[in-house]
Amino acid sequence: MSFKKTTLLAAMAVAAITQSAVADIKVGYIGSLSSDTGLSTLRGAEIAIEELNASGGVLGQKIELVKADTSEDPTEGVKAYEYLAETEEVDFIISGSIDDVSLGWLPRMQEFQIPTLDTWTSYIGIIDMIVEDYETMKPYFMNIASDEALATLYIDFGKDVLAEKMGWSSVVILQEDTAFGGAIAGLVTDALAPNAGIEVKESIVYDITTNDFAPLFSRAQDSGADFIYLISSVNSQVVSSQYVKLQVPMGMTGVNVAALGQEFWEDTGGAAGGISTLSPIPSVGFKLDPVSQAFVDTYQAKYDTRPIMPHFNGFNAYHGVKQAMAAAEEAGEFNNTSWVTAMEKQDLTLKLDGETWLRYAFWGNDEIEPRTGRTYPHNARFDITEPYDEASPSMVVIQWYEDGSSAVVYPEKYKTGEFTVPSWVKAKK
Amino acid sequence: MLQIIVQGLLLSGLYALIAMGFTLIFSVGRVLNLAYGAYLLIGGYIYFTVSQTLGVPKVLGLLLAAMVGCLVGLLKYRLLVKPLKGNHVAVEISTLILAVVVQAGVVFIYGDSSKILLPIVPGVTQVAGASVTYNLLAATIGSWAILFALYWFVRKTHVGRAMQAVSMDTKGAAISGVDPDRINMFTWGLSGMLGATAGVFFASYTQLSPSMWVAPLIIAVAVVIVGGIGSIIGTLIVAHIIGFMEVLAVAVIAPELRGVFTMLLIIGVLVIRPQGLFGREEL
Repeated sequence: MSFKKTTLLAAMAVAAITQSAVADIKVGYIGSLSSDTGLSTLRGAEIAIEELNASGGVLGQKIELVKADTSEDPTEGVKAYEYLAETEEVDFIISGSIDDVSLGWLPRMQEFQIPTLDTWTSYIGIIDMIVEDYETMKPYFMNIASDEALATLYIDFGKDVLAEKMGWSSVVILQEDTAFGGAIAGLVTDALAPNAGIEVKESIVYDITTNDFAPLFSRAQDSGADFIYLISSVNSQVVSSQYVKLQVPMGMTGVNVAALGQEFWEDTGGAAGGISTLSPIPSVGFKLDPVSQAFVDTYQAKYDTRPIMPHFNGFNAYHGVKQAMAAAEEAGEFNNTSWVTAMEKQDLTLKLDGETWLRYAFWGNDEIEPRTGRTYPHNARFDITEPYDEASPSMVVIQWYEDGSSAVVYPEKYKTGEFTVPSWVKAKK
Repeated sequence: MLQIIVQGLLLSGLYALIAMGFTLIFSVGRVLNLAYGAYLLIGGYIYFTVSQTLGVPKVLGLLLAAMVGCLVGLLKYRLLVKPLKGNHVAVEISTLILAVVVQAGVVFIYGDSSKILLPIVPGVTQVAGASVTYNLLAATIGSWAILFALYWFVRKTHVGRAMQAVSMDTKGAAISGVDPDRINMFTWGLSGMLGATAGVFFASYTQLSPSMWVAPLIIAVAVVIVGGIGSIIGTLIVAHIIGFMEVLAVAVIAPELRGVFTMLLIIGVLVIRPQGLFGREEL
């Protein structure tokens, strides 16, 4: 080998080693690249990474964000996780996946053991998996309150508002035919109804392609129930707008995913007055603490396309990425041992007017939540008992009014408006 | 029961309006225009852009949607159907592809998320426990008015009688001095106009989305197959059979089975009475 060739090869080797020494920390985003939900997580992560890079990055390296689109399809989700793990070899994954998609790629997470944070999925079954098999599941964190915690607080809303304030004693469930719809319907039937003293008169299951709800609303009226409990995560603006356009003479509340976004009014062409829904926090109509407000200001200055306001998971991604990077600084690297321990200790409390307003922390592995009597390892810390001074409540109820405004109507501490029925519905009390 | 009758009548009126333009083409041109649903798509989005976004008065928006539908029908005939004349399979495949292309164009311009079209005629009333929107009532009354006007037009005017002649025997009509090409062109334009008008009402009743052309196409195909090579009255009757069947399925059996009975009806008619319930009729 000539001297020139040897020198060239040596130079290339040195260059490669040097490049590897300053290689970026890779954060992988997994989720939809076109839905409001997915974009909220993606943009929250982008802003956090920009801010972290502006202050020197993490572990002395810049952070690079790579994306993998799931198209909200479980099969695509598995491929996306494999792409991030095998092709991009990311150090950390931030997820804006919906429940079914997360469940799809979880076996890959168990296999690759990449630190992963879910910001939208709230399925309690995943937390149960951590309880049952901590060693395999420990790189996984979920910084939204699990659906069981959401439901527990929603039962209080049922008792305090639906039963006591509105005087409603019977319900008809209008449920989309999805796994999500089935799970929530089960919670309503088995927990909300008996605890709040509300009788379930009938359950109507509809296909997600339904675009004519008139016969379904007639059937709901025929049931003689006081109100409709809607469970809709797909194309919810259609059922919402038809409820308004048909002026169905019964109150309607429940879980309405489209109503979580600031675009809901525009998406329904203004036919959204009177719609209310359970929502993780922060939600539309939610008063923001200064830190969250600063995040929103940055978000709105940076992005001019929908969603114009990040959904709750955008906030989760913003704080979650920063906490994951802080854990890496503390652990000295991303791994499934010391990083996990450092992540478990992350704790950020945001205050408004001196009160605990939002908290980004995780339940201790053996810590028992007093009301439900169970553990929630690696799940966002929540507080489901008044006065909610330990952490954020697991959910709020939001309401859209006929003038296009929206407000939080429950719980009392976070309330910015009153729960009401639309003008065409006669209140029972 | 009264509730089912009210809702069945309203839905059937809308279905009759949807199916009419499709039946016309099938009767006169003898081809299944599988891009028919695209007229509804175009009509809905034109109305949305013009009236809901730009604020042009609703009646003008509706007229413009109908005119664009007519234009698209004419162009489709001139540029696609006429060059493929005689090859029905080629026409059916190319019209189906055209519908997919139109859908892609709509996604490109408007995005793939659905939009809610505000009612053309606002307001709602309760009849026998059923919510009756003035919008759907207008669509139903409009549908009946259009169908009777069409019936009169076909029976009483020269062009209408020429359409009848072409639908019965193209060569015979040509020998009698009728220009089948002009009649076909007229029918395609009229079909586009009816489809786009139906699209505005259909979208304001349900939703506006790039895939909204599929469901109306299925309804239209069902009407033609179940009714037989269409007549105006036959279309009206079969639209009511399908409309009432859907409302009954939702109210009495299960909402998930809403469209299933229509499909079963199509299969049943194809097996038992392939010529359709009303057989071959003139317009």
